[in-house]
Amino acid sequence: MSDVLIQRLTKRHGEVTVLHGIDLDVPRGEFLTLLGPSGCGKSTTLFALAGLDKPSGGHIAVGGRTFYDGEDGTFVAPEERNLGLVFQSYALWPHMTVAKNLAFPLALRKVPKPEQRARIAEALELVDLGDYADRFPHELSGGQQQRVALARTLVFRPSLLLLDEPLSNLDAKLRIKSRALLKSLQRQLGLTTLYVTHDQEEALAMSDRIAVMEKGRIVQIDRPEAIYNRPATRFVADFVGAGNFLPVRASRGAQGEIVEARLDHGEVLRATRSVATGSDTQGFMTVRPQYLRLAPAGSAVAAGNNRLDGVIEERTFLGVRNGYAIRVGDRLVTAESEDRFETGPVTLAFRPEDTLLLDH
Amino acid sequence: MNAPAFPSGDTTALNGTIAAPSGTNRQLTLAIGIQWLTAIATLVLVLAPLGPILWQSLLDRPLYQPNAVLSFDNFARLLSDAGFLRAVATSFELAFTATAIACVTGVGLALFLERTDLPARGPFRLFALAPMYMSQLVNAFAWYLIYGPAGYLTLFGEKLIGVPPWDMYGIGGMAIVAGTSMTPLVYLFCSSSARMADATLEDAARSVGAGPLRVLWSVSLPLMRPSIIYAALLVFIGTLETLAVPLVFGRPVGLESFTTFLFSRGLGAITPDYGMVGAAAVLLLVLVAVLLVIQSVLLKGAGRFVTVRGKAQRPRRIALGALRRPVAAVFWVYFVLTLMLPLLAITLRSFTTFLTPLLSPLKVLTTDNYALVLGHPAYLRSITNSVIVASVGALVATLGIAVIALVAKRSAFRFAKGLEYLAMFPRAMPGIVAGIGFFWAMLLLPFAHWLQGTIWILMIAFAMRGIPTAYGAIAAALVQVGTELDQSARSVGAGWWKTCTAIVLPLVRPALFSAFTLLFLGFLKEYASAVFLYAPGSEIIGTTMLSLWSNGDTGAVAALSVIQIAITGVFVSLAHFVTRTNRDV
Repeated sequence: MSDVLIQRLTKRHGEVTVLHGIDLDVPRGEFLTLLGPSGCGKSTTLFALAGLDKPSGGHIAVGGRTFYDGEDGTFVAPEERNLGLVFQSYALWPHMTVAKNLAFPLALRKVPKPEQRARIAEALELVDLGDYADRFPHELSGGQQQRVALARTLVFRPSLLLLDEPLSNLDAKLRIKSRALLKSLQRQLGLTTLYVTHDQEEALAMSDRIAVMEKGRIVQIDRPEAIYNRPATRFVADFVGAGNFLPVRASRGAQGEIVEARLDHGEVLRATRSVATGSDTQGFMTVRPQYLRLAPAGSAVAAGNNRLDGVIEERTFLGVRNGYAIRVGDRLVTAESEDRFETGPVTLAFRPEDTLLLDH
Repeated sequence: MNAPAFPSGDTTALNGTIAAPSGTNRQLTLAIGIQWLTAIATLVLVLAPLGPILWQSLLDRPLYQPNAVLSFDNFARLLSDAGFLRAVATSFELAFTATAIACVTGVGLALFLERTDLPARGPFRLFALAPMYMSQLVNAFAWYLIYGPAGYLTLFGEKLIGVPPWDMYGIGGMAIVAGTSMTPLVYLFCSSSARMADATLEDAARSVGAGPLRVLWSVSLPLMRPSIIYAALLVFIGTLETLAVPLVFGRPVGLESFTTFLFSRGLGAITPDYGMVGAAAVLLLVLVAVLLVIQSVLLKGAGRFVTVRGKAQRPRRIALGALRRPVAAVFWVYFVLTLMLPLLAITLRSFTTFLTPLLSPLKVLTTDNYALVLGHPAYLRSITNSVIVASVGALVATLGIAVIALVAKRSAFRFAKGLEYLAMFPRAMPGIVAGIGFFWAMLLLPFAHWLQGTIWILMIAFAMRGIPTAYGAIAAALVQVGTELDQSARSVGAGWWKTCTAIVLPLVRPALFSAFTLLFLGFLKEYASAVFLYAPGSEIIGTTMLSLWSNGDTGAVAALSVIQIAITGVFVSLAHFVTRTNRDV
């Protein structure tokens, strides 16, 4: 059952188009992440959903109720939407205690005082801040403020949880802890959640599905494993940490099919098609650095595997591993290996299953 | 979906949602209603005095008479009126001279108090700002009592050398009184820029061989140029607008200024020449507006004078060395002559029957002046009226202007930008012009006659004049409050108005308080716009002082002045106390 339905959503600021027709269909209880670099339109989409940003066209409905329709002019005010939005800056009201911050949405909903107290205590318990009700926001650490912000949206049981880079102001360790808390809360409450981030690791770790956005468009929407292993475009691949993009001329084929790919200096390799095509294409192949196996120059390569010969130009010590910059023809590729090699000629071996073909 | 029902006792499962607050349509209507109402009220308030003046300036007879004909005749008559042209010339001469004086004293104070190790900087700062709290009217009277033709020091000098040592009547005297009373404006703007200046620039000048005064002149002073230009134009406009100084030091010798011309043609004459007054008011308005535009144009590109960098540093001061004491002595003399002696004179005068060097004040001590002021119902009423106008008026105006600022800065209102321009417009309207405008508005508007002669019309006129000041203070604070604080309130279910009252306004409480303080002091001092609007029963301290002054009743004027200063002092101390105790919150 679809809980959030966004269709052909557009947003223009004068001449600049920020959103070029976004389509999203989020089933109830799903954790969906909008992933992309700054300026890709992910926050605009979230704020349009919350009613804090008025779109230029399209359609938004939550739980079957139309919130926005560009055609008939429907626009439901943000305060009527009953969505829980957690801001990047937390936006806790500095003149109110933690308890008052949480009480405000309840008072607006005319919840009786004793009921309010019970719900506030429960929500604070949920984020492990039961003893902090009477503190002011400035008396809390960044991580605690972030959890209060979360509790403030959970306390009135919103129909949807919207999170705008809620972890970006925390340090690395706290970020990982908060990630786990957020995910378990979301699962426990079964809340449909839209999460905005530019951090691929966060997106991969928490989401049921990820929508990768580029310049106001959703370029790929899929499960985290699929996004990671089968990025549809070079942009997506780049964003989820792939590297070693080499231009190739590739044969046509179905999605997932292993086909021939010819490098620009003539070598023929075998790679997996990420997207089906009906004809040959000019595109890129990509192999993650850790999938490139290094062997002494001239070593034999297992049957069916790809082979490239190159020259190690530089080695970087990375702790457990070594990073290598290797010249293949006129291009540099990077590889990682636990084995130590000195600069000089080397042979690279990698499996066609780990080699992806991208059309653009 | 609008019944916020959940079973009572169900506090363990956070599943299922509570419906959004009911009645949100009402909230939306409320928001739009408040926004439009605010915009319309502001428009009416600003146009009420402006419209009648513009209208009258083009009519061939008083605006309340039927069958008037539209023409530019009034302007033609005005521009061929020798008296008017002389008055304008006098005003300009006065404004230029007073601005020069205020700039020299104000910049000097700022440089020496903020950039050097001059002794007694604390008391000097207090003295430098003190004239700002005083009414121009009180200040002019105080100067008159000590330096006027029969003033205490004037007579004292005459006794010594046989002839009066100076003549305060005329441009020079007026310029000194106006210039020294507006020195705080220059000091205020220049001292803040002097405080923020980068001391290393001065150190660099010292290191290449410049002495302390040379550094002040060649480095510190040029860096303050934008502040000086800004403040100079404020003083220029302020002097053009002032009524008290030319009334006390110009009119007795037949020297009219732009404002006294309006005053005497509009009030003094038995049959006021409405057309001419209207045209003159329009010209004064246009003149001030043009000056304000010039001010904003001159300040564009002031960025190259910005020497404040992110790096926090303790400002170091230039050591004056051997010059410390002589410079301090110059400042003491300045404050004694321009501030303390006039204040002392007016206080002494209020407790004596005469004030003359020929008699010891102790021999003529009396409380009669106070008995007169406090015993006469009309005089006493002017004091209570002033306090009511200042407190109630400033309170209501602060709240109203806060709503204007909220609509202009924190709402999706379509004409928010226009409302902001409208809020700044009263800067261009001198007090006397506003007074004439509201007076005529009451003649024109059918429903306004019940306001005539009440203190309510005074509050309305003062509030209109106070909009830019209070708006500036509140809007600056509003900009500091992050928009995500409103957005989060909206997203949890608060409408625009609820967000304003529960989140935004509490966060700018200090700014609201300082806006109230500014308005209170402004309303207490205001007299120029009141002279056309008051009637028996609605007199305020300023208007009573003016009429007592023209009757030659200087003892009572002095007593009222002291009372006004005392009210100001009590209020300022209270405000300081409140600010200090609230700082920890």
